[in-house]
Amino acid sequence: MPDFSISGYHGRVLVADLTRGEVRTVPLDPDTALHYLGGRGLATRLLYDTIDPACDPLGPDNAFVIASSPLVGANAPTAGRGHMVFKSPLTGVIGTSNSGGTWGAAFKSAGYDALVVKGAAASPVMIDLAPGRAQILPAEGVWGKTTHETNDALSAASEPGHPVRVLCIGPAGENLVRFAAVANDRNRVYGRCGPGAVWGSKKLKAIRVQGREKISIADPERYRSGLDQAVYLMKQAPVTKRLMRDLGTAGLVELINLIAMLPHKNFQDCLHREEDVERISGETLAKTLLEKAGSCYLCPIGCQRHTRVAGRAGGEERGEGPEYETMVLMGPLCGIYDMAAITRANYRANEQGLDTMSYGGTLACAMELAERGLIGREETGGLDLAFGATEALESLVGMTARREGLGASLAEGAYRLAAGRGRPDFAMTVKKLEIPAYDPRASLTQALGYMTSPSGACHLRGGYAVSLAFFGGAKEIPRFSLLQSPIAIRNMQNLGILQDSLGVCRFTGYAFAADPWARMVSGVTGRDFSVARLEEIENRVATLERLFNVEAGATAEDDSLPARFADVPIVVEGKERRVSREDQERMKKDYYAVRGWDAEGRPTPELLRTLGIKGKRP
Amino acid sequence: MSGPKWQATAELFREFQALGRASLLYDAQDSHSGNMALRRTNERGEDEIVITATGSQKGDLEPSQICFLSAQETDYGYYKASSETDIHARILALPGVRASMHAHLKDLILATLDDAPKPSQPPDFVPVDPLARHILGAAIPVDWFAVPSGSPELARVIPERLADHPLTIIFGHGAMAKGRSLREAFFRLCVGNYAGAVVRGMEKLGVDIEAVRRTIAANPARAFAGPPPVYEVEGDDRSDFRDEEEILREFVKAGHRIFESRLSPFHTGSMSVRGVTTMLYAPKASMPRDVGGPLLSVPLAAGPADDAETSLHKAIYAASDFQSVMHCHIPEAEASAYFVYPDEQAPADRIIPIDAEGSFLYLVIPVLPPQVTAAELIRSLHEYKVAVVRGGGVWAVGAQSLSEVLHHPSSVREICFYRMGAVERGLDLRRMEPPKAKRW
Repeated sequence: MPDFSISGYHGRVLVADLTRGEVRTVPLDPDTALHYLGGRGLATRLLYDTIDPACDPLGPDNAFVIASSPLVGANAPTAGRGHMVFKSPLTGVIGTSNSGGTWGAAFKSAGYDALVVKGAAASPVMIDLAPGRAQILPAEGVWGKTTHETNDALSAASEPGHPVRVLCIGPAGENLVRFAAVANDRNRVYGRCGPGAVWGSKKLKAIRVQGREKISIADPERYRSGLDQAVYLMKQAPVTKRLMRDLGTAGLVELINLIAMLPHKNFQDCLHREEDVERISGETLAKTLLEKAGSCYLCPIGCQRHTRVAGRAGGEERGEGPEYETMVLMGPLCGIYDMAAITRANYRANEQGLDTMSYGGTLACAMELAERGLIGREETGGLDLAFGATEALESLVGMTARREGLGASLAEGAYRLAAGRGRPDFAMTVKKLEIPAYDPRASLTQALGYMTSPSGACHLRGGYAVSLAFFGGAKEIPRFSLLQSPIAIRNMQNLGILQDSLGVCRFTGYAFAADPWARMVSGVTGRDFSVARLEEIENRVATLERLFNVEAGATAEDDSLPARFADVPIVVEGKERRVSREDQERMKKDYYAVRGWDAEGRPTPELLRTLGIKGKRP
Repeated sequence: MSGPKWQATAELFREFQALGRASLLYDAQDSHSGNMALRRTNERGEDEIVITATGSQKGDLEPSQICFLSAQETDYGYYKASSETDIHARILALPGVRASMHAHLKDLILATLDDAPKPSQPPDFVPVDPLARHILGAAIPVDWFAVPSGSPELARVIPERLADHPLTIIFGHGAMAKGRSLREAFFRLCVGNYAGAVVRGMEKLGVDIEAVRRTIAANPARAFAGPPPVYEVEGDDRSDFRDEEEILREFVKAGHRIFESRLSPFHTGSMSVRGVTTMLYAPKASMPRDVGGPLLSVPLAAGPADDAETSLHKAIYAASDFQSVMHCHIPEAEASAYFVYPDEQAPADRIIPIDAEGSFLYLVIPVLPPQVTAAELIRSLHEYKVAVVRGGGVWAVGAQSLSEVLHHPSSVREICFYRMGAVERGLDLRRMEPPKAKRW
C-alpha cells in the first residue's frame, strides 16, 4: 500500500465483488480525497467510477458505496455518520442516503475510508470487517430474519471496548421492496431510495464491523478552534440545545401545522383540527410514550425517541420513534392521528427494513386510489383502505415487506402503484420518490428543493428550506420569492452536501454553517479545506450527481412537482398558494443557470472542466 | 409673501418629520435643538423658505411647526421660525443650495474641542476616514463665536464658510450643512459626525492621530479605498422590485437597522441580494424609517457604467456562492483598524474579540489595507464572512439572506466597542484576547 499522507484518512478503499466472492483493498487516490472530501462526495465519485448509470439498479451491474470522512474518528460533534450511494431501484436515478447510529464510526475505525460493493452473490452472504480482516461469509442463517434479529445475532461477538456493529437489511430488502432500508443499531436507517433492495438483489444480508484504528490530527490547534466554536453554537441554538432532546423531531408537528405546511390525505390539503394535531405532537409523545431520549455516536443533540406502546394484542412493546416524518407521513397524510398505531407501524417498518417515509406516502396514495374506486375491496383482502384506517396502516407493513396481496403493489412505491391504475397524478412523488412531510405550496424554496434534489423529493438532499423559511434565525429567507429561491436552495443543498460529506448531522445546521467545519477538517487533515475550497467541493459533488442522473436518463421534465401542487391551492396566511407551472419553470431555469448547467439541466463540458470532473464520455 | 395657505403639504411635512426624527435617533440633537430649512418655489410661484419652528421638538414635529416665509423679505412667518433663520436664509441664497440643516453633532464637537483661551481661531478639523475625506473635504472649518447661536456674527460667517465647504463647525455648539435637498444636508451632517466618532474612537484606543494625519497627507490616495459613490438627490423613491414583497421588507428592515444602530451614517453603505441574472441593490443602505432610498434591480453582470461600489458587489457574487452582501461604515471599526499594540509599530491586521459572544462567533476579524484587491477581499470574506478595510469600511457576506449578513457588521460594532472601552479603562487587551485567536 503506498504511503497516504493526508491525516484523517486511512488511505484505503475496500472493494468487495460478490459475484467473484473476492475482497481486496485498493489505495484511496489522494486527489480524489481532496476533490471529493468524503462521505457523500467520495462515495458518489467512487460509484460513478464503478458503474454505468444506465445499469439495471437491481442487477449485478449496480453497486453501492459507503464512505466515511476525515472528521469521523476525530471526536467532532455528530461526526459518526455514514453515507451510502447507489443507483436507486425506486427512482432510477442516484440513490443517496445517510444514517446516524454507531456503524459509521465503527466502519472508519476498522481502517477504511470507503467500501465499494459490486456484483451479486448466488446465495445469502455477509461481509465481515475488522482491521486487517475483510471477508465474505455465508449468511443463510440470518436470511429471512428481521433487522433486529439479524443485528442481535451478528453482534453477539462484541468485545468490551470494541463492540461489533451490524448494518443489515430485513425481509423488505430481501424481497426487493423498492423502498427497503438498511439498518444499524436496530433502528437507525439508511432509509430513502431503496438501498435495502439493492442489497437484497446482491443477496447481501449484512456488513459486520469491528474497529480499533485511530486517525491522527495534523493541526490540533486549528481543529480545536473550530470545535470550540461548534460546541458553543450548538449549546446556544434552541433546536440543538433543547428542542430535539425534549421533544424529538416530532416537536415540529405543531410548528409545521402552524405555518400551514402539514400535509393531509395525500397532500389534498393542509387542513387539520387542532386537537388532532395535538394528538400526534412531540409534546404528546413526550408525555405518553417516551421512555428516554437517545443519541447517535458523539451527538449532543439527542433526538432519538426510545418509546413504549401498548401492543395490539395486549402487552407492551418497546422500540424507537416515531420521528417527525414518520409521524406525519404515516399519520395525517393517511388521515390518521392515532399515535399508538403510528408507533406500532413504525416499529414494524424498522423490523422489516422499510423506509417509513415512502411507506407512508405510498399508503396515502393507495388510500386516495381506494377513495376514488381505483383499488377495490377484493384487492385489499377485505381490509378497509379509507383515509384514517389504522388497521391498514399496521397490517400492510408486513404485507408490503413480504409482497403479499396488495402489499406486492405497495412494494413498488407510490408512482408505480398509481401509474399501474392509470392515474400517476395521484402519486405525490418527484422522480418517483415520495414527498416528505412539508407541503411545497407553503414555500417556493422547498418546492424547488424537491424538484431539483438529485435523488427525487427529499428534504435532506433537496435542501431543508423549512429551516430557513421559518426558524432560520438570522438566516430566515422569504417563503415566496421567485428571485431568491434558486440561490437559497442551491446554497442549502450545498450545505447538505458538505454535512453528508463530513459525516455530520443535518441538525448542526440549526447552529452553524460551514465555518467551524472548515476549521475542523483543515485541522484534522492539515490541508486547505477553507470555506471557499469546501464551496468548490460542494458544487463539484452536485454537478457529478447531476451528471450521473443525466447519464441514467433523467431530463429536465423530471424536475417537476405533481400536477396537484400547481392546480389545487392551499391557504397560507389568508392567501391561496400554489406552485404554478410557470413559477416551476422559471425557478428551474434559474436554478440550472445558478448551477452552471445548460437550459435542459445538463452540466456543460466547460463546467465539468472547471470543476475538474472526469466524465465517462469524452 | 407666503399667502393664506400656511400649511405644509402631507409630503413636505412627512419629509421634515422623518428627517427630524432621524436626526434625534442619530443623537444629532437634544430634545429641542437643531433646525432645518429648504428653499422652494411654492404652489403660487413664490420664492419661499420652509423652516422648522423655534423650540420645536425635531423628533416629534407637528404640522404647525413647519414655517413658511418669504425668501425675499421679512414677513409674518419669521415670528415662529427658528432663531437661526437668518443664517439659513443666507445659506439658502448660495448658488445651487436648496436646503440647510443644523445639528448638535456630539462626536464631531467633542473631537474639535480644545482648551485654548478664547477668543481664538480653532484649527480646521482634518478627517482621517474615507467618507468625510471624500465628501466633506480634507479640512473642515471650525469657528469660535462669542454668541454661538442665532447671532449676526454667525449669520455672516457661516454662509461664507459654506460657500466653499459642504459643512462647517461651530466650536462647542454644532455644525451646519448645505445641500441640494434636506436629505443631502442631513447626509453631510451624519458623515461629519462619523468623522468625529472615528477620531474619538482613535483617541480612546491611543492611536497617534497626528501621525495618521501625516501619513494621509503624504499620500491620500494610498490611505483610503476608492471614493464612495457620488450622492444623488434624485431617485430615492425608486423601487424596482415592489413585486418581491418579502425581499422588499427585508431591505427596508435592514436599512432601518443600519441607520438606527449606527452601522453606517445616513444614506451611506450599500447592500444587495443576488438573483440569477439580476442584483437587488440599495446604494444608500442606511435608511431611516419613512425616508428610504433607491431600491434597484440591476443586471448581475458587470457593466461599464457601474461605480466602484456596485462593481465590488458584483465581483463578490461572480467569485462566490454568496447571496447577500453588505458594506457599512462603522466608526468603531474604522478607528479599530488603526489600533497599534503597545509593543508594536504598525496597526494590527486583525481585530480580536474580547467579549463572550464575539469571540465565539468570530475568532478574529481581519483588517485589510486600504488598497486591498477585490480578490483578496473576497478571499477574506470566504474565510471570515466579514472584514474591515482600513480606510474603506466593513464588508460582509451571507449565504442566504440580508438578515444574516446584517448580523456581521452589527457584531463587529459591538466587538470594537468593547475593545475601545477596555483600552479606555486601562485594561490590557493582550491578556483579554483568547490565545488561539492571537495565533490564528
